[in-house]
Amino acid sequence: MASAQISMYLPPDVNPSQAAIAYGCRALPKLNKELQSEDLLTRQKALMALCDLVHDPEHVYVAIDIGCLESLKALLKDTNDMVRLKTTEVLYIMATHNVGREGFLKYDVIHALSYLLHDPQAACRENLHLAYKHLAQVPSGAQGIVNSGLIPALVWKLQREEENIQELLLDTLAACLMEDATEALDSRLVPFLKEKLLSANNNIRSKAARTLVAISIPLEGKKQIWQYDVIPILVHLLKDKVKEVQANAAGALMYATVTTEGKYAALDAEAITPLLGLLFSPLSKARLNAIKALTMLAEAPEGRRFLQAHVPNFRALEKDDNEAVRRAALVAIKVVEWKP
Amino acid sequence: VAPTWTDRTSPAMGTYTYTYTSRPRPPPCQRRRYRDSLLQPAEEPIRYGNIMYDRRVIRGNTYALQMAPLLFDFDLEVKPMLEVLVGKTIEQSLLEVMEEEELANLQASQYAYEELRNVELAEVQRLEEQERRHQEEKERRKQQQWEVVHKHNETAQKIAAQVFAQRYLADLLPSVFDSLRDGGYFYDPVQRDIEIGFLPWLMNEVDKTMEYSMVGRAVLDMLIREVVDKRLMMYEHKEDERLSFRPGDRLSGPGAVRDPLVGPEIQGQSTSQSQGPPPDRESLPPLDGRYLEKLSSQERRLLEEEEDEQREMRKSSGKEEPSQ
Repeated sequence: MASAQISMYLPPDVNPSQAAIAYGCRALPKLNKELQSEDLLTRQKALMALCDLVHDPEHVYVAIDIGCLESLKALLKDTNDMVRLKTTEVLYIMATHNVGREGFLKYDVIHALSYLLHDPQAACRENLHLAYKHLAQVPSGAQGIVNSGLIPALVWKLQREEENIQELLLDTLAACLMEDATEALDSRLVPFLKEKLLSANNNIRSKAARTLVAISIPLEGKKQIWQYDVIPILVHLLKDKVKEVQANAAGALMYATVTTEGKYAALDAEAITPLLGLLFSPLSKARLNAIKALTMLAEAPEGRRFLQAHVPNFRALEKDDNEAVRRAALVAIKVVEWKP
Repeated sequence: VAPTWTDRTSPAMGTYTYTYTSRPRPPPCQRRRYRDSLLQPAEEPIRYGNIMYDRRVIRGNTYALQMAPLLFDFDLEVKPMLEVLVGKTIEQSLLEVMEEEELANLQASQYAYEELRNVELAEVQRLEEQERRHQEEKERRKQQQWEVVHKHNETAQKIAAQVFAQRYLADLLPSVFDSLRDGGYFYDPVQRDIEIGFLPWLMNEVDKTMEYSMVGRAVLDMLIREVVDKRLMMYEHKEDERLSFRPGDRLSGPGAVRDPLVGPEIQGQSTSQSQGPPPDRESLPPLDGRYLEKLSSQERRLLEEEEDEQREMRKSSGKEEPSQ
């Protein structure tokens, strides 16, 4: 039988690597204080504890409220690798929550994080880029990243990093470019993306194609895509094994063929046939993008002539489940059958 | 379980030391600090082994229940601890899993939104592009039309100008010719030649001829005057003589005296041509033959005509001769 006596010993330390988390609302302030302590061990233990705590959005909110971000920013410049690693992990977990993202923008964490872009530790950089990626999912976050002028640095990093980090970078860039692509276009992103389109890694190809979609939204992007002869590669990717890659390539083509030069480049590269194949892809994204790309091509007289024979395909798509696909099919039929 | 003290003074040992720093302290407590342990008094410190292997710990090992001394029931003790441990772990992992799920959901919805957005944006751009192309085309066509109209206008103007100029100049040509002709720039060379060359000469010659006749007449006048003067002188001379001899032959005198009067008068008269007509009233019917030979035939004829006239005039005013 257990006795009701209170033990004189302190309870056994279950996890010596973590600081002891105080009870209830005292947890985070105590941890915050420990973060600012001089002792390395204390800091590390506090960081480990914090890592576990920030999975809870409520804790994230409280942490930001009491100003943890300032201490974390200071810790980013710490000399100890472990400290930096754990700090970036905490920040990346915070960035997965919306309160965390808003806190980042308010306390200018992006700038502080950018000092770690050249960190020797790969894991540290990975966490950093994860943080950026999650931050960029929100439009205001993406705008924040663009405003801080990080895009040229990120583009530059794209060529020099390892593959998994490249994936993260591509995701980040894709999201940021949806906001504002001018800086990226100036830093010659299109040639890099062109190389990445031919990489062996499926993820990299699909993400590179997605970034191309984002970059080809502004007119300058379309011009650059045509200038650097990316269109034939995109047409080649339409026949790729991976569905996601096909869908994204179709999307990039859809935007690139808005301009007249793009249209004719795509027609020269025989884009219509693979696009017609994509019309029956299982991915709704692929179908949508293919229909739109074909609509663009149907604006040109040569395309229209070729597509008039394939109008039945569009009619079949009119009965698709997806509302957007139905609408796009109607528009496509209208364009193909237009007489001047 | 009785704790073991670690400090130097121990009532069990019965010794304690006082030093100069010792504070006033009550004498060691005589009573026991804790109640008697239920199991047994703490006579000797209990030795513990590994919790997992110690037979005195009941862990589902019912046989050990009968064995003494028992330490504690593992199953009972471990429950709360386990609850805490497991609870914490599950809470943490639940959080993490939910976080990931939330992220995945967000991502999926974001992708779906992105798809639709891309499609709409592409549609908008396509329509924009179409609009722009149409505008360009319209502009170009307008430009072409404007040029056509402009050219049309220009050509019409040119034609009008040409026709007008033609009409104007067509009128101009005859007027030019007319004015030239009026200016005398066109002339018949023969006519001009006649005008320039022949007629002046003709006039000249006529002039000359007239002059000749004038000169002849003048000369004749001179002659006549001279003759008349001489005759007059001779007559006066003779009159004086006759008056001194026969003053009654005056009536026939003039007829007979005339012949001798003519000779010396003509010789005396030199330049009295200007007194032609008045002194010629008393002209001389019979002119001396010598003087007539000196004149030309024409003059002779003219003189003869004049003589006839003057004879008649003289007859009408015969007696006034000597008074002149």
